[in-house]
Formats: sequence, structure tokens, C-alpha cells
Amino acid sequence: MSDGTLHVPMRHRFWNPEARLAYVLLTPAVVVLGVFMFYPIVYVFMMAFSETNKLSQIQGFAGLANFVELFQNREFWVITGRSIMWTVIAVLTKTLFGMVIAVLLNVKFAGRKIARMFFIVPWASAVPISSILWRWVYHTDYGMLNHTLRMLRITASPPIWLGNPAAAFAATIWVDIWIGIPFMALVFLAGMQAISEDLYESAYLDGVNWWQKFAYITLPGIRHIVLIATLLSSLWTFNDFNTIYILTRGGPANTTDILITSIYKTGFEYRRFSQASGMAVITFVILSILSLVYAKAYFRQEKSG
Amino acid sequence: MKWKNRGKIPAIILTVVLLVFLLFPFFAMISTMLKGGKEVYTSPPYWIPKEPKLSNLWSVWREYELAIYFRSSAIIALGAMVLNTLITVPAAYAIARLRFAGRQGVLYLFLVIQMFSPVIVVISLFKIVAGLGLLDTYWSLIIAHAVFTISFTIWMMNGYFKSIPMEIEEAALIDGCTRVQTITKVMLPIAVPGLVTAMIYSFIYAWNEFLFGLTFIQSKPRMPLVIGLYQFVGRWTTQWELLNAAAFWALIPVLVLFYLIEKRLVAGLAGGAVKA
Repeated sequence: MSDGTLHVPMRHRFWNPEARLAYVLLTPAVVVLGVFMFYPIVYVFMMAFSETNKLSQIQGFAGLANFVELFQNREFWVITGRSIMWTVIAVLTKTLFGMVIAVLLNVKFAGRKIARMFFIVPWASAVPISSILWRWVYHTDYGMLNHTLRMLRITASPPIWLGNPAAAFAATIWVDIWIGIPFMALVFLAGMQAISEDLYESAYLDGVNWWQKFAYITLPGIRHIVLIATLLSSLWTFNDFNTIYILTRGGPANTTDILITSIYKTGFEYRRFSQASGMAVITFVILSILSLVYAKAYFRQEKSG
Repeated sequence: MKWKNRGKIPAIILTVVLLVFLLFPFFAMISTMLKGGKEVYTSPPYWIPKEPKLSNLWSVWREYELAIYFRSSAIIALGAMVLNTLITVPAAYAIARLRFAGRQGVLYLFLVIQMFSPVIVVISLFKIVAGLGLLDTYWSLIIAHAVFTISFTIWMMNGYFKSIPMEIEEAALIDGCTRVQTITKVMLPIAVPGLVTAMIYSFIYAWNEFLFGLTFIQSKPRMPLVIGLYQFVGRWTTQWELLNAAAFWALIPVLVLFYLIEKRLVAGLAGGAVKA
């Protein structure tokens, strides 16, 4: 180990004591990531261009056959479309709810700290447990949702939530939204609280109403945070396996499947590993594009302050 | 500052309405876990149990053998937390403080892997885990969870290390500390809040994780809590009063831990524009 000074002249960029120590310190992380994250991904790419048996062993080179098969499959396009719809609807709704809650919690009323604590609960809870709780809430006969809908006279014949395609889609996406709202609200709130009070006070002197304050001070002030939070949320939402798998397992008849649940089922339930890998590669590309946009936004923010 | 008070009452009312709406499943959980079996299967259901009782909360430990699952989850989560810390603290220090070729690339790498979906990886990670003879062991989950939290914890620790003034470390070096000693004796003690946040985060992640547990673990003695509860839903007669009681117990540790790190978590996720 080196006990060198903090600023070693960069004579050798790779082989000075400081760099050597850095590589030693990075080795465990890099090795573990290599074996358990990068190698699996490389292997998924290999499987996507191969034929595999039911034990996911590679049987031979398949070229683009797996992708051709996917692209010719109508179901694949339906699921891809649904994944995009799922992500767009969920993220927009989370943003909307998050914004409303952030604005509310930014009003300085007594008890807002407690309110903030309660708003966090859906995020703080374990997603699989929440999904199980929701499954019970959605229960047709004994669930509290249908009971409440009848009590409030919203509808006399509520849907069989997890048994009917349209209702099941609404029910699963709502649970995803519900889990994601607190993150949005807290991040937006933190952004709003970073805006200088002076701006609001001079606005008050100018006699603007609350909507003008929101539109001309608050929103521009948190614009960048909103961008970062929605990008991050898009990644999480697109990747949401747990709520769908636990609530419906993609059913009824695959009508609530998105790419991420379909990959898992194609692999581990139907044992068609090369098809699953093909879908995984496509998903990987979509996620990579989203990640790059996110990373760019994140670093731009770091630089600007 | 009277203008701030305008609109307070509507805000409070709307807040309460939203809270009642959003906490709905937890109200249902509390109502159900206090009911007897017959009360649960009454249609239409009702909110207030006729004979509220706490017995489900105790009997679920016997009926579902909850202790087995709690033990597994605790071992897995603690293991993942320790492994993750051992891997990420040195790496985060290197990125924050040392100059080396490829530093920027490593930084980007650790940010981008955050987006690698577990589902994409699991198709072939399953093979690797099986190849190492780790299927149906705690180690399979300890490693998987530690790996999938690397990105966030490095990011978090990197931020904390960077915020420590260079002079403190320089003074320690002049006093004759080795570089490694400055990490363990100077930097880490100062970065304790960040370290604790990162450790709790990886514990919570492992406690809540579902996909790897579902895929790698088959036998009951090693099943983590969330997988155990999921298995109970699948049974043809789900005893929902017990399941809700079990969910209640399962949520307590993560809720407590989450509240400890919530503020720093938001700051860590949203980046420099939000200060903790």
C-alpha cells in the first residue's frame, strides 16, 4: 500500500502509487460486477443469437432467427406497446399526484410533518407486501374496494378487478402508481423548499395569485428536478416486475403482461430461453437509451450546481 | 407573513382526503387482521370488526411459522449489507479521492448499471448461480442483492467522501497515517451518516427483494419473508386474516429503517439539486 501524498505528479497515468491504490480499491467491486452482472448480460446476448434447449444451454448459432420470430409475433408488439403505455400513463399520473402533494406539503400548516410521514408509507413499504395487500383490497366479494365503491354509490356492480383484462390493467397500473407517488412528492417538495423565499415575497408585493406563483416561480424553480425524477421513475416503472407478477402474473391470458414480466415467464415458465433473451436484449436497448438520457440530465445538474 | 396562511384550510382538507385515499390498503390490512375468520369471509364486508381481537397477530407466528422466514430474511439482508459495504466503501473512496486513468468512465459505469434490470440478468444469472452450486442457498441472494445495490451505495458514499475537506485528510497523511489508515480512521468516521444510509438502504433492498428470491430459493427453511408470504397467497384457501397479520409484522422493520434514511435517500436519488 502506498502512503504517498495527495497530489502525485501525473508522470505515469496508469502506474503511479495513487492510481495503483485506486485500482486495488476498485478491484472487488469490478470483479463482482463482472461475474454477476456483465457476464450474465453478455450471456443473454449470446443466447439471443442462439438456439437453446429447455435447460437454457446453447445448442447452436441462430443468427437473427429469434428476433425475426419475435417481430413476426403479434403478441410481442402488443406487449411492447403495452409496456410503453404502462410507463407513460403511470409516470404521468405519479408526477401529477406528486406535484399536488408537494404543493400541499409546502403550505406551512400545523401537522404537515406528520402528513408527510404518512404520505411516505406506500414507498417505505415492501413492494411485494403492498402488492399482496392490494390483492386482498381488490378481492371481488370480500375486498374493501368494491365494498367502498358500492357504499359511496359510485357503482352498484364493480368489476372483477383482477379477472377482467381492462380492469386488471387498471388495477395493476394503479398499484405501480401508488407505490411511485411518494418519491415524486418528496423530491418535488425538496426542490420547492430550495427556492428562495424572497422570490415569493416580491411576488406577493406584486400582487400575483397562487396560480401565477406556481406557474412562474415554483415550476421553473423545480424544472430540472422534475426532469430527473420522471426519468428515474420511468426506468423503475418500465422495470416493475413485482406488482404485475404478484397481482395477476400477467393474466388474465397475458393481458397485463409487459416486457419485463413476459421475459420472465417466457424463460422460467415456458422454458423458451432464446426467445426470452431476444426480448431481454430489446428491453436492454430501450433501458440503455433511457439511462443515457438520465445520466446526461444528472451530470448536467451536477455541473450547474 | 399573513399571505402564506391564505388557503390553509382547503390545503389541510385536501391533504386529509388524499391520505385517506392513499392509505386505503393499510386500513384494510388493520381491519382484516383484527377480525376472526368468519368475519373476514362475510359479504358485504365491513370496516370495524364486531369482535376485534389481536389473536391473529400472535397465532400467525405458529400457523405460518413466521420465525423461519424472518430468520432467513434477516440473514440474507444482513449478509448483503455487509458484503455490499465491503465492496463499495473502497471503490467509492477511490472514485472520490484518487486520480487515476479511467476515473470518469468508472463513474459513468456505476451510474448506468443502476438501470440494469434484474429481470434481464436473471435469465442467465440463474445458470451462473447453479453452476457455482449456490442454488437454494442464502449465498445466492446475499451476492445478488449486494451486487444490485452496488451502484446506489457507491454513489451515496462517493458524495459523502467528496464533501469531506481535503485538508483533514492531508493533515492525517502528514501526521504519518498511511493512505489506508486515513480511510479507516479519518474518512469513515466522518462519513458515518452516509455509511449508515448506504448500509440501511442495502438492508431494505434485500429485505424487500422478490424476483431473485422467487427464482433461486425453493426450500422453505431458506425462503425469505416476502416469498413465504407470496406462497401463502397462492394456496387455494388463503387465510387473509393471518396473511394481513403477517404483512403487518413484515412491514415493521422496513418502515422503521426507511424513516431513518428517508431524507438522505431522496437527496441521493435526486442529485445535487436537493440538499439533505
